[in-house]
Amino acid sequence: MIQAQQLNKHFKIYETKKGFIGSFSSLLSTKHHVVRAVDDISFSIEEGEFVGYIGPNGAGKSTTIKMLSGILHPTSGKITVGGFSPQKKRKEVAKKIGIVFGQRTQLWWDLPLRDSFDILKEMYKVPDEKYRQFLRLYDDMLQIGKFMDTPVRKLSLGQRMRGDLAAAMIHDPDILFLDEPTIGLDVNAKTSIRAFLKELNENEKKTILLTTHDMDDIERLCSRVIVINHGQMVLDGTLEDLRKNIGLPSVMEIQYRVKPNTDDIQLEGIERMTWEDEKLIIDYDRSLLSSPLLLQKVTQWGEPVDIQMKEPDIEQVIQKIY
Amino acid sequence: MNLYLKLLSGSLRSRMQYKMNFLVSSLSYGLIMAVDFILLAAILQRFDDVKGWNLYEVGLLYGISSVAITLYRVFCVEVHNFERYMVEGEFDSLLIRPVSPLSLLLTKNIDLSRIGGTIQGILILVISIIGLKLNNVELFLLLIYLPVTIISGLLICFSLGLITATIAFWTQRIKDFQTFTLYAPFNAANYPMNIYPGWLKIIFFTVIPVGFMNYTPVLFLLNKGGDVWNLALPPLVSIVFLFIALRFWMFGIRHYHSTGS
Repeated sequence: MIQAQQLNKHFKIYETKKGFIGSFSSLLSTKHHVVRAVDDISFSIEEGEFVGYIGPNGAGKSTTIKMLSGILHPTSGKITVGGFSPQKKRKEVAKKIGIVFGQRTQLWWDLPLRDSFDILKEMYKVPDEKYRQFLRLYDDMLQIGKFMDTPVRKLSLGQRMRGDLAAAMIHDPDILFLDEPTIGLDVNAKTSIRAFLKELNENEKKTILLTTHDMDDIERLCSRVIVINHGQMVLDGTLEDLRKNIGLPSVMEIQYRVKPNTDDIQLEGIERMTWEDEKLIIDYDRSLLSSPLLLQKVTQWGEPVDIQMKEPDIEQVIQKIY
Repeated sequence: MNLYLKLLSGSLRSRMQYKMNFLVSSLSYGLIMAVDFILLAAILQRFDDVKGWNLYEVGLLYGISSVAITLYRVFCVEVHNFERYMVEGEFDSLLIRPVSPLSLLLTKNIDLSRIGGTIQGILILVISIIGLKLNNVELFLLLIYLPVTIISGLLICFSLGLITATIAFWTQRIKDFQTFTLYAPFNAANYPMNIYPGWLKIIFFTVIPVGFMNYTPVLFLLNKGGDVWNLALPPLVSIVFLFIALRFWMFGIRHYHSTGS
């Protein structure tokens, strides 16, 4: 469904100087350095796969997605999406893919959701009957019916994201590119969007490429994971392969009334313990040490006033792959 | 076509969501145009002859160019304000659709608050044509030719706007370029080209061909020189220029850098 061969995207960053004269002279100067946003990446994704594409900020995730969807032209390398090159046959590819950018809505901001759908229906030339089916199906799956007539700017982030997801599916594409679709959402909204994506993949056999900062998204959704860092691929394998490399990274924060002495505590699975005043932050591996067991332990060490589970920082997780 | 109407009605309804803003901007733009008009009339009253062009002849030039320019400002508002798409990275969302990004830009919005300028231009045209006291044959030829020259002028303005917009693929910002490539030439096109020094004339008949918008055909139509070729040049030049602008635009899209996520 999706192939990328020796894909490269290099950006020339020209040095800019301060002030009017500086900015004028930098217009003429050729001083620059090259940033390899995507550096020799190859992969092939088959029909019906659900692939997590992860890496720290600035690793080249969005750049890759933009090249796959025809927004950017690669410096070198070959891409085919649904049988076409997104650079040579951008419009053909556009009909086969749906795209969601979590940080930027594709909906018409000031219009009711329904109007955005109407416009997209015309744009993709969706037949009336198919369009009615779409509205019924997606109201079922995402419950968008309740806010169909609300202007997009008045929707909550979770509602807007459901609207964006539905809008990306209006022309029934085979392939979905999702760039951080769960960013900034609360737990409930995340859960409902994950359930929806799972259904799309399992029942509708959609091929999905997902970038995310949320390890939970990956663990719950993706059968395959591609990890990139500094534009280079560092891992391409199953979720099990990823686990073998990084375990199940988790973070627990415990606020103690009085700081207990934890110097001689040795527990398998704990990777790091950091103190911030009376607060203890434990990075641990859930595949080696279960959360209930750790919870039991931390209450034995002292008197906790508050315990919180935190999302592990993906930047730290990626570092472990080396 | 259906899509065009849908998109346009969408953008109008978006605008109407902010009723006060829409009214105030229409009103203030109309006011600016009125002041502009009074100023021009005052200047022309003082100099009743500009290098062999009388008030009504200059009025004809001014009318044609200002109708063409304001039509560009009404219908190509998103091309004119293309900088926004670069700076805010909104251009991405145009490239994911199975429609050309240029048609999406042109259908995304029309700026009705600028229509007052078009009406004012038409008024000046009417007054000038009455004032010129042409004979029947001349009048007939002029009226037949007016739509051709206005459309050619619109195409030239659009091409200039598109070329300037394309520069944004490399520079991000184009506001400063617009002064040189759009505002100054548009202003210059309101007056007869023979008042400008030679080097400026060369520019206005080559790289920024605003001289063809009105000066070339009006020269012939008012028996001031040239031959029937003067009537063929504006549509020809505008089509060639449009072709060049479109090629440059396509070239620019290939070099689009997008913004960080």
